[in-house]
Amino acid sequence: MPHDEIREPVRVLTFPRQTFVSLLVFCVFWEVLSHLAPVLGIPPFAIPSLVRIAKSIATITPIDIVVTLARVIGALIASFVLGLAMAMAMYRSDRLEKYLHPIVRLFMAVPVVSWILFAVLWFPGVEFRIGFVLVVVCGPVFMVDTLDAMRSVPRELRHMMQSFRPTGLQFFIKLMLPAIVPTIFTSWKVNISLAIRVVTIAELVGAVTGIGHQLSVAQELFSVADVFAWTIVLVALLFMLEAIVARVEHRLLRWRA
Amino acid sequence: MSVPPPIDVRGLRKVFWQTTTGQAVIAIDQLDLTIAPREVLAIVGQTGCGKSTFFDLMIGLEAPTEGSIRIGDKYPHADFDHFRGKIATVFQQDRLLPWRSALDNAKLPLELIGMDEDEQRKRALTWLKRLGLGQFTNAYPHELSGGMRQRVAIARAFVVQPDILLADEAFGHLDEVTAAELRETFLALARECGSTAILITHQLEEAISVGDRIVVFGKSAKLLADIHVAQWPKSKYALLREAIQFTLQNNRLDPRLKRIGAKAKRKKKR
Ligand SMILES: Nc1ncnc2c1ncn2[C@@H]1O[C@H](COP(=O)(O)OP(=O)(O)OP(=O)(O)O)[C@@H](O)[C@H]1O
Ligand SMILES: [Mg+2]
Repeated sequence: MPHDEIREPVRVLTFPRQTFVSLLVFCVFWEVLSHLAPVLGIPPFAIPSLVRIAKSIATITPIDIVVTLARVIGALIASFVLGLAMAMAMYRSDRLEKYLHPIVRLFMAVPVVSWILFAVLWFPGVEFRIGFVLVVVCGPVFMVDTLDAMRSVPRELRHMMQSFRPTGLQFFIKLMLPAIVPTIFTSWKVNISLAIRVVTIAELVGAVTGIGHQLSVAQELFSVADVFAWTIVLVALLFMLEAIVARVEHRLLRWRA
Repeated sequence: MSVPPPIDVRGLRKVFWQTTTGQAVIAIDQLDLTIAPREVLAIVGQTGCGKSTFFDLMIGLEAPTEGSIRIGDKYPHADFDHFRGKIATVFQQDRLLPWRSALDNAKLPLELIGMDEDEQRKRALTWLKRLGLGQFTNAYPHELSGGMRQRVAIARAFVVQPDILLADEAFGHLDEVTAAELRETFLALARECGSTAILITHQLEEAISVGDRIVVFGKSAKLLADIHVAQWPKSKYALLREAIQFTLQNNRLDPRLKRIGAKAKRKKKR
């Protein structure tokens, strides 16, 4: 077939030279600073050398990474399912939308820290607290994004679809869902970075596992090297998740020019 | 090949309430029209006279404000599910789903009636081939030209072999040669399928070449003229075109249309 797509290689993590250079400059600057610290009157633990950080990275416990990752992914999936279901219900019923919209707006205005405190005060279980905070923060984002996207599916396409008389379910599955896939991906990308940042704060309170917990331990030990190491892990985790989403997105959105 | 049911429009009225101004727009007012099975009908009328609204009512997207459209003994809005796979529309823009290949677009209506997967593919392929798209079944809409996309849209309408085919300015946006070619194909296929076909058009040439019957809508879908083209000899087509033009411009029936129609009737009686 002449139109069988020519598959371009997907570059997941590309490192242009500029990125490499700027990272290198930053590392050199950091290393120099760490050696100059005593001269500058900065306590030595504040700016650990790269070697010290590398040692910290070597001691990182994979179980904490797995736990945090599981919490993030689990909560994101729950948020997505909930958000999408609510968006679909609100798309079908204007009345429901009128009642729910203010509440959702209210939820989105509440600071994350407040949610964490509420969670601690309301719920006994640590996992449930973390899950609650993540879902309450990410769910509305999914909902608002997908509802918006459904609303902006062109009238022409909706009419065309209707003219072939689908059932309500067919209408959603064959038109609405595929039409909002690009938005769903954007929403996932936003929510992944949001969830990674929120989960660590949530884990600071009361969790005995996870990256957030390890960060609080590092802080108690005044170990900047450990904080640094865990932060690197977090950033790497975020990049990895984003890369996975980008990859799936590229596959699914091949139909776009 | 089953005979499509007749279409009977009685006292049809459609009023829209404009949300911004709160004013009523009478899109269709007291329309009476009967369309026989397998008739090929062209509707002409000035912009905003309610042609597309008439189609929306035929499709069942909207309910009539008053009066009714009856197809056989069913109503397209009230009996929405009954007409699944029986009415198909080709729109002005192709309205293909951009995430589906030509083949998947063409088989969409078959998916909705729950046909067997293999059969869907087979049928869609057959129709795409008939429309000259055998080479492009895997192409996405953005990889096709406007004319090719409209061909896919036509294939999509024909896959279900509908009783009633609607085309709302389906060829208006294409260049003349492509439009004429596609119109020919469309009409030939419609006749072959034995479907009733209704075409909305702006172009009188198109309306006349369509064949059986031309109805001219005035404002609010007022029926200004109902012309049976067969009653006109080919040599009088120029006159016919002029008379339709006059009717459109003056929003009233051109007397010349009356006379010829009457003459033909008298001839028939004898
Ligand atoms: N959903 C709607 N809400 C309000 N008014 C509408 C709606 N749909 C159509 N109208 C009005 O009804 C009238 C007829 O519109 P319609 O689209 O049927 O015209 P048309 O004959 O198809 O015109 P064109 O040749 O330009 O396509 C117009 O005045 C239009 O503004
Ligand atoms: Mg129109």
